[in-house]
Amino acid sequence: MKKAVKKFDARPKLNGSWKFLDDYSYENMIFGQLFYSTCHHGIIKNIIFPKNFDLNEFTIISAKNILGKNIVPEPVCDQPFMAEKEVMHFGQIILGIAHSDKKTLRDFVENIKVKYEKLSAIIDPKECLDNERNHFGKEILINHSNNEKNTGNYHKNIYYTQHQEQAYLEPQGAIAIYDETKKTMFVRVTAQCPFFVKSGVETIMGNAINEAIIETSEGIGGAFGGKEDFPNLLAGITSLLAYKSGKPVKIVLTRNDDIQITTKRHPSRIEIETWTNPLTQKIEKCNIDYRLDAGAFQTLSPVVMARGVLHVGGSYAIPNIKIRGRLFKSNTPSNGAFRGFGVPQALAAMEAHIDQIAIDLKIDPYLFRKVNLFKIGDEFPTTQKITENNLIDCLERVIKNSNYLSKKKEFAEWNKDNSNKKGIGISVGFHGGGFTGNGEKVLKSELKIIIEKNANVKIFVANTDMGQGAHTTLSQMFYETINHPKEKCRVQLPNTSKTPNSGPTVASRTIYIIGNLLQKLAREIQKKLNFENLESYVATHQNEFPREFRKVYIPDKSIVFDENNYVGMAYKDYSWAACVNEIYFHADTYKLEIIKSWNVFDIGKVVNQKIAEGQAEGGILQALAYANSEFFYKKKFGRVRNFTDYTLPTTLDVPEIDVEFIHTDNKIAKGLGEIPMDFPAPAVRNAFLNATGIFVDEYPLTPENIFNIIRSKNEN
Amino acid sequence: MIFYRPNNLKNLFELLENSNATNYFLAGGTDINLQTKNIPKNVNIFYISHLNVLRNITEINGHISIGSTATFSDILHSDYLAKHLPFFQNSLKFFASPIIQNLATIGGNIVNGSPTNDVSPLLLILDAKLELISKNNSRIIPFNSFYRGYKEFDLQKNELVKAILIPKNAENNLETFYQKVGARNSLTISKITVAGLKFIENNRIKKIKIAVGSVNEYPRRLVNLENYLITKRINEIKKDELTKIIAVEITPISDFRSDQNYRFVVCLNLIEKFLGINF
Repeated sequence: MKKAVKKFDARPKLNGSWKFLDDYSYENMIFGQLFYSTCHHGIIKNIIFPKNFDLNEFTIISAKNILGKNIVPEPVCDQPFMAEKEVMHFGQIILGIAHSDKKTLRDFVENIKVKYEKLSAIIDPKECLDNERNHFGKEILINHSNNEKNTGNYHKNIYYTQHQEQAYLEPQGAIAIYDETKKTMFVRVTAQCPFFVKSGVETIMGNAINEAIIETSEGIGGAFGGKEDFPNLLAGITSLLAYKSGKPVKIVLTRNDDIQITTKRHPSRIEIETWTNPLTQKIEKCNIDYRLDAGAFQTLSPVVMARGVLHVGGSYAIPNIKIRGRLFKSNTPSNGAFRGFGVPQALAAMEAHIDQIAIDLKIDPYLFRKVNLFKIGDEFPTTQKITENNLIDCLERVIKNSNYLSKKKEFAEWNKDNSNKKGIGISVGFHGGGFTGNGEKVLKSELKIIIEKNANVKIFVANTDMGQGAHTTLSQMFYETINHPKEKCRVQLPNTSKTPNSGPTVASRTIYIIGNLLQKLAREIQKKLNFENLESYVATHQNEFPREFRKVYIPDKSIVFDENNYVGMAYKDYSWAACVNEIYFHADTYKLEIIKSWNVFDIGKVVNQKIAEGQAEGGILQALAYANSEFFYKKKFGRVRNFTDYTLPTTLDVPEIDVEFIHTDNKIAKGLGEIPMDFPAPAVRNAFLNATGIFVDEYPLTPENIFNIIRSKNEN
Repeated sequence: MIFYRPNNLKNLFELLENSNATNYFLAGGTDINLQTKNIPKNVNIFYISHLNVLRNITEINGHISIGSTATFSDILHSDYLAKHLPFFQNSLKFFASPIIQNLATIGGNIVNGSPTNDVSPLLLILDAKLELISKNNSRIIPFNSFYRGYKEFDLQKNELVKAILIPKNAENNLETFYQKVGARNSLTISKITVAGLKFIENNRIKKIKIAVGSVNEYPRRLVNLENYLITKRINEIKKDELTKIIAVEITPISDFRSDQNYRFVVCLNLIEKFLGINF
């Protein structure tokens, strides 16, 4: 293991000097707040402002004041910045309001009343997903099948997952400053994708501005996908307020507003039917119906669905497989990006289904996986060929690390004499790195570096460091390649007027696409200038510096993907992983306690061991809580409104987590950001199945849900 | 709203007397942030956390007296409690979070009056008393009679809890039980809390006290259950009788955090676990 490289921002974050969005202040700055619908679906009849306030003190904007278009730019442009007549969901923004005093503003906004003509609304994810009439229209079909006959053993089930809240530490926020002379809008924002925000601001402002310049705050306090598209909307409204008031405007959402109106992970309903050959124990055929609740608008959901259907077949060689993907409409805020992007739902279904089949066939889930897992020469449902056996290696390793086989025997014995139960379960998964299909081709990501006269290297990328350590790792990839001193190499704060567009900070692509590109550029510069030591080269060639270098990412020509038929290479490189979870079921409180989680990853080369372990552990914990405790909606009681009732794990709830990376001799650093969230959750459910024999088709396995399952089982 | 920070108790009572609004005492204040929206406009707030005279943990007349503004950290670090009431002390180890433990006070927890508060079931089984003071008066009442309904207390106007008194020997030679069921292991609101003390001799229940939280409008002792259990042999306890009595004694509800049926069954399970019976 290499010596760990500390994050460059660790110390200033600890001593409090690092600036997050709400730490910024500008002269004459006033405060903004969003006024949003509390009606799930209805027509706005009348907006009544509270008395006892001088309306002239406030800047108030609605859809009517929009200077450009009232449509947030997204893969599907169907969501307005602000509602016009009809509100489609609770939390839909109706007004932007600004005032110089925060408290006056809050009192005013809290007392605005709206009269709605109420219309029928669907807020229950199951109600949304069970009814085909709620389907948005378009669908994806993957057909890798040449056998229409159904033979062998038949296995079928429907699996559900709920919303998940990103729970970033820093709520959403933006500050907009209008420059009247230059006709520019400067926006500082806590966001993952500065160029998306730019497009959002330029859309709402139309011809009123020449350019929107977006710069992130120094620190971004977490995002997990939650700051991929919502900031575009927020920055747009903040900009319009700044334009209308003529003053800098800051909006920082309260935690309660943030939880109630921003994007979440899509609830899912995934139906799988499978035919297996009982003699060979092989899966012969599989049909999958993959549905996501997109919320009131589609926005980026088609992209989530695309990734979902490309992963929902699981890690198994299935000669005949059909996958259908669809988006469903409900009267809830649009669901959006969240670490995993459709894959946690896919694996929640497929990895549980695999255990069900194993039980049907009376074979250990480990052995059943071994028989059916991808091997070199097998094909993904898109016909892409498997070129490595690294997934099997991950599985074998995690089985060994966890002592799975002997534990399983031991627990079966122990369970005979105890009302509490012990269980152990497996899950495996994979995640394609970078944008799906031709995405990276379209993006043409570009980055830039400047080498200065003192041999300092400034790296310009649009990818943000939201706490995951990307800027530490990126600069490490540059300086380690040419043996440059660490302190002479620094990633600059992303700013759309200074930084080329190296694409959004999403899709596990920052190190995999941008990092590897940066490494290539470092090698090219070394070759071109022909130096062994950059510092001494710069010292002896002072007249050549400062000097700028740029590089554009051009994907491998072998990557061909037919987006109409979902055939071809969906992703060039895949990360692989396997998990074993051990649980303890408390019969008196129905609590499922996770004792330990073993995880083995192939993410290729590990650039920074500590940061990689941190990413892995954080994602695993997020996944375990997804399976075990976090829930966002409860029938009859509605959606969560604050952190009090959203059960994020505390340190006392964290099980022992074991992480190992294998095949690290790879030259390529593959994607790591999302895979830890994808695969460990199903192993919680599978361990519960092993412990109790009770099959659960829904997350999370809260004590109440387990209680209700056992009760209805007993009643039947 | 006026916020007062009195210099001492005398000053506090003077200020109270001159206040013509509804008066609230603030000790700790870790839950107040969640309540600010519901606080009526015409209230005066009297901050008392800094009054050290209300914060001492001492031994008086065979009792451990815990000042009402003693924080949970004070309680967890108290040598008196470690020596005389270790069960009480240990039960609060995972109360809220270390940050909240440093600020939240035991008096605040009691007078905040939440049906889910962690400390009341313990005080109930330990026969705690409350020392209440007002300008010209002081009285001692059994903790058992303090709650009278949801957020209703035996407190006169301008009267406050000075201290919580627990008999020094309240835990002596008794089997103790405390289990809080929350959505996670700390920083969580109780779904069910069961606290119990028992003394069993020759397989016969000689002494029994059971209190529950989060399943009624306020935490309370299950007196009928205790009456049923006392003097019984463990093997004489009948599942259906136990269930019947508990069904009358507790009135759990369904809410976002949990379900009525779950709360009932788990409450029953924990009581059985405490009694050491396995039907």
